[in-house]
Amino acid sequence: MKLKALVTAAVVATLALAGCSVDHSGQDASKPTIRIGYQSFPSGDLIVKNNKWLEQALPDYNIKWTKFDSGADVNTAFIAKELDFGALGSSPVARGLSAPLNIPYKIAFVLDVAGDNEALVARNGSGVNTIADLKGKRVGTPFASTAHYSLLAALAQNNLSANDVQLVDLQPQAILAAWDRGDVDAAYTWLPTLDDLRKTGKDLITSRQLAKDGKPTLDLSAVADDFANAHPEVVDVWRKQEARALTTIKDDPAAAAKAIAAEIGLDPKDVEGQLKQGVYLTPDQVSSAEWLGSDGKPGNIAANLESASQFLAEQKQIPAAAPLKTFQDAIYTKGLPGALSQ
Amino acid sequence: MSVFVDIAPDESHVDSPRERTPAHRWRGRLTRAALPVLSVVVFGVGWQLVAAAGLWNQTFVPYPSTVWKAFVDVSTTHDGTRGYAGYLLWEHLYMTLRRVLVGVVIGVGLGVALGLVMGSVGWVRSVLEPWLTFLRALPPLAYFFLLVIWLGIDEAPKITLLALAALPPAAVATTAAVVAAPVGLTEAARALGATRLQVVRDVVVPSALPETFTGIRLAVGMAYSSVVAAELFNGIPGIGGLVKDASNYNNTPVVLVGIFAIGFSGLIIDGLLRAVERRAVPWRGKI
Repeated sequence: MKLKALVTAAVVATLALAGCSVDHSGQDASKPTIRIGYQSFPSGDLIVKNNKWLEQALPDYNIKWTKFDSGADVNTAFIAKELDFGALGSSPVARGLSAPLNIPYKIAFVLDVAGDNEALVARNGSGVNTIADLKGKRVGTPFASTAHYSLLAALAQNNLSANDVQLVDLQPQAILAAWDRGDVDAAYTWLPTLDDLRKTGKDLITSRQLAKDGKPTLDLSAVADDFANAHPEVVDVWRKQEARALTTIKDDPAAAAKAIAAEIGLDPKDVEGQLKQGVYLTPDQVSSAEWLGSDGKPGNIAANLESASQFLAEQKQIPAAAPLKTFQDAIYTKGLPGALSQ
Repeated sequence: MSVFVDIAPDESHVDSPRERTPAHRWRGRLTRAALPVLSVVVFGVGWQLVAAAGLWNQTFVPYPSTVWKAFVDVSTTHDGTRGYAGYLLWEHLYMTLRRVLVGVVIGVGLGVALGLVMGSVGWVRSVLEPWLTFLRALPPLAYFFLLVIWLGIDEAPKITLLALAALPPAAVATTAAVVAAPVGLTEAARALGATRLQVVRDVVVPSALPETFTGIRLAVGMAYSSVVAAELFNGIPGIGGLVKDASNYNNTPVVLVGIFAIGFSGLIIDGLLRAVERRAVPWRGKI
């Protein structure tokens, strides 16, 4: 009797809890849903999300924003067909477009180009003054990130390989902990951790310099092939909103910083400083031959991604580099440059 | 590694007299040996079929042959690359087992000692039990970041995490076993003039040992299942670090190789512990 009552109570409780999860996303079951994956680095994505521009521009759709911590996770979600749009770094994109992943997505926007917001910093007292001094030292970086790629590129510039230094796989918060304890001599990471490291260290090289040397790292937006084919008009609306966000960063950095700060829980003043350190293109630049290019004429980003793919292959992170054609085909140039104008 | 406990009594008890004829015994042994092999074969064939059906992307369900190739690649030096991330598979596994061993020895040692004290002294139990339950409820991932801040990124936080994972099961099992020591036996020993220490040494500990061993097996299982969490930061070389790094690159074959390595070594370790248990406490279930 008692057991029966217990089992009944358990079943009732399970059913009741299953029906009332906490969800503030305001989804309407009658409308189709657009699934967008974003990351917490400062970018136009956060401005669009915070101001609800997409929700206003596409009232006939649900917009579902999902936060991801790394490009690898975004790639996984694309493979699982769980995302329509996703933000990820150029290094994960190069990996995703190469074998064996061959993810069916296209590059539809350039969110930002890494500038002084990603840098290799040496700790004061570690005796490291140049990149060449890093030989045999411990260097922390989050593996499989754009910073990891930039670090290997910076080492290669100085004729060092990954085996000449002790690379340590650490996420930014852990880098800070290890840094304060003196467990690492240098680190390649990004803001806001980077600003804390700079207080007790100095820059050896920044991603801005590496970009000048031909090894730029970018944050890109990808759109799933299936979605782009089925809803080209939605992609157009989305690109316009992203272009509007870039214009806001350029013309009204205070408003941009306020929106981004609200999304990532930082002080707007700090975010404004961070925005100054990154490189944010104008919509015109995005559709120029140097970056995405125009309709039918894919821009130079394809060459950047090809070089990233070759680099990954040299580092044995992928079996073989994909040819330039693969990356040219993977750039969504439909309607450019006109599609970006307001 | 399995955290369930084999509660089947000794074979000699269950075998009914009818099955004792030699032919029956051989058939029984054959069945016992063949069934696990058969299940592995069925699993392999099913896997191959699912992969070949192409329902899922290769990244989700790679072919068994792809995983085998990844296993060979990780275990050997090929075109100038040594194993995975510069270390061979056995080196990854060795580093992990070393961490687990040190962590478990510390955790189980402290846990059993705590359990003995908590089981014998009532007020200590009241003081420590809530803390132990608190620690037992925490997922290692929740506090690992604190260990990194306090202890750095080398071996110390990893071993501490494994020890903290292993401590509660050992302590709880030992406490329960000591409390459950047969009152009749302890009172008989006291009546025969044994001191309190002698009672603990000669009556309580031997009667508690079988259940303590169960606790130790659970503790090793808990520690082993925390390996990937422990090797989240700077985990290479280490089998948990290998799994985490490979999944960062969506490298499913290597992830599966790592999972199989963890699973099989867990089976072997549990088998060893059971053999030790049979030798060390042959009186299990007989008092």
